[in-house]
Amino acid sequence: MDLNEKLTGVFREVFDDQSIVLSEEMTADDVDAWDSLSHINLIIAIELTFEIEFKQSEIQNFANVGQLKQSIESKLLNHN
Amino acid sequence: MFVNNIAYESLTKHCENGKNDTVIIHWIQNDLTMIEYSYGDFETESNKVANVLTYLGIQNGEVVSIFLPRSPMLISCYFGILKLQAISCILFSTLGEDALLDRLGNSQAKVVITKASLVRKILAIKDKLPSLKYILIVDQDENQSEFLLSLRKLLDNSKGTFEYRHQLDAETPAFLQYTSGSTGKPKGALHVHGVIEDIIQSFREIMMLEQDDLYWCIADPAWITGLCYGIIAPFSTLADSIQYSGTYNTDHWLNILKDKKVTIWYTAPTALRMMMQEDESAFDQIRSNSLKRIYSVGEPLNPEIYHWGKRIFGTEVYDNWWQSETGSIMISNRPGLEVKPGSMGKPRNGIEAFILDEEMQPLPSGLHGHLSLYKGWKSMFRTYYHKEEAYKAKFHGEYYITGDLAYKDEDGYFWYVSRSDDVINTAGHLVGPFEVESALLEIDEIGDVAVIGADDPILHKKIIAFIVLSKDVEWNKVLELKCRIYISNKVSTVAIPSEFVVIDKIPKNQSGKILRRYLRAVYEGKDPGDVSTME
Repeated sequence: MDLNEKLTGVFREVFDDQSIVLSEEMTADDVDAWDSLSHINLIIAIELTFEIEFKQSEIQNFANVGQLKQSIESKLLNHN
Repeated sequence: MFVNNIAYESLTKHCENGKNDTVIIHWIQNDLTMIEYSYGDFETESNKVANVLTYLGIQNGEVVSIFLPRSPMLISCYFGILKLQAISCILFSTLGEDALLDRLGNSQAKVVITKASLVRKILAIKDKLPSLKYILIVDQDENQSEFLLSLRKLLDNSKGTFEYRHQLDAETPAFLQYTSGSTGKPKGALHVHGVIEDIIQSFREIMMLEQDDLYWCIADPAWITGLCYGIIAPFSTLADSIQYSGTYNTDHWLNILKDKKVTIWYTAPTALRMMMQEDESAFDQIRSNSLKRIYSVGEPLNPEIYHWGKRIFGTEVYDNWWQSETGSIMISNRPGLEVKPGSMGKPRNGIEAFILDEEMQPLPSGLHGHLSLYKGWKSMFRTYYHKEEAYKAKFHGEYYITGDLAYKDEDGYFWYVSRSDDVINTAGHLVGPFEVESALLEIDEIGDVAVIGADDPILHKKIIAFIVLSKDVEWNKVLELKCRIYISNKVSTVAIPSEFVVIDKIPKNQSGKILRRYLRAVYEGKDPGDVSTME
């Protein structure tokens, strides 16, 4: 399963919406239930799924899904 | 007594007076681009909505629910519903299935207006909503079935004119506002068209807008502040205003305040506290701004934020107090009244507030007691919809008991102390512990649960869930995430506990009532006091 597929699964579970299709430009404004509170759920879910950790300073700084994916990829690379 | 229909007072009257093309809202989208909407835009669109609802057979007095994020369409739907003399009920678009079921079930809504991405939440519970006749989807071009209709298509086939009675009995029901209690399900405070007189009067008395002012109320219309002072008040008083589609974002907010030259800003303490977390250099761009006054509501504005706001924005910050049940601002700081930082101010004209003891007798100044209002003001709620007993329980003789504890000082200023019940005020949202507990108990791994509110420097109160695990279950991050997601999607994102504390047994008294006072004390490291009733 590639990163996009895995991340899509995380989004669908966290926001309870099987219709979510990720795009690089997608932001919180594009997903109904994605607010600052559910964002924490998303971050925890990503950390658990990909076995990575975000620094506190990183958590609020993703401008869109593309940047979030880049960050995950970079952490996975360092991990390996 | 007769009053103008809220829709007439807010829209139609102005169009009849030649304001059809006058811009009422500068709508700022998430990307900060702006679209201007005139009275005529909303008049035509709300007429179409009223025609659609008439076509669907909706009668006056029936409930039509709006389950949409803040949008121009939400406002048009609201006024369209009122023109028909049906009852509007705006619901937060972040509500989960359980929370929706409570509200749509209690209101017996005949129609829900929503968007495609939210429909699944209603479809998941529709079998439990026998009164629901139609779901109208705002962003789909074609009907999905006889039940799931395209509002866009219906509007395209509707006339932009609608004849309706401008004057009606002041007691005609207008809208429902759901609010959480410490026990049981949320209650729908019913407001009547007569509410508008108090909204206009209070807006003029407290906000004191002048002709060149630009007004921005940040509240979502599903929150009573967003409806009464974000929509009804500016529309009815010709106040040039801003709406912003996005949620909290420091850069965007500062950009709007500065670039759009906002002069009167109605915000909330949590928003100011979140701003306080930013580096001060973030506010360099706002040192010179157009703001004349800031108003704040939702939770107590503690002196620290008051002084910070005044220093950063260079203007006075006026706290005020009211509730879903009161329908308009009751107690307020305002120009002409010296501000005592931390105080909610004094009652506005026509409002009588008291501090009562446990026997419901007035207390002298300085003593803590129940904040109460002499009943009968025009915007007072008329009942809890289909819960008349709960409504009656809020009154003692001539007093409405607000559920807040406060005191009055010798100068007549009121000071908030705390809630007198177990309702949790988190970031301005009232969350009933029962709602969170009920949802958590649906998770197999959770054996028992108790929810409390604890002090928080940003949120005012944070939600703490004490849980007892089912047999052979271990607490871990995966289970915590499951709980968080479950609450988010079943109740609301605002109801997600900040912390889960695993304990062996929930403390209860001999009749099975959770001893939240005991849990609060233990959590905060304080003396729990008398525990003789503990089981």
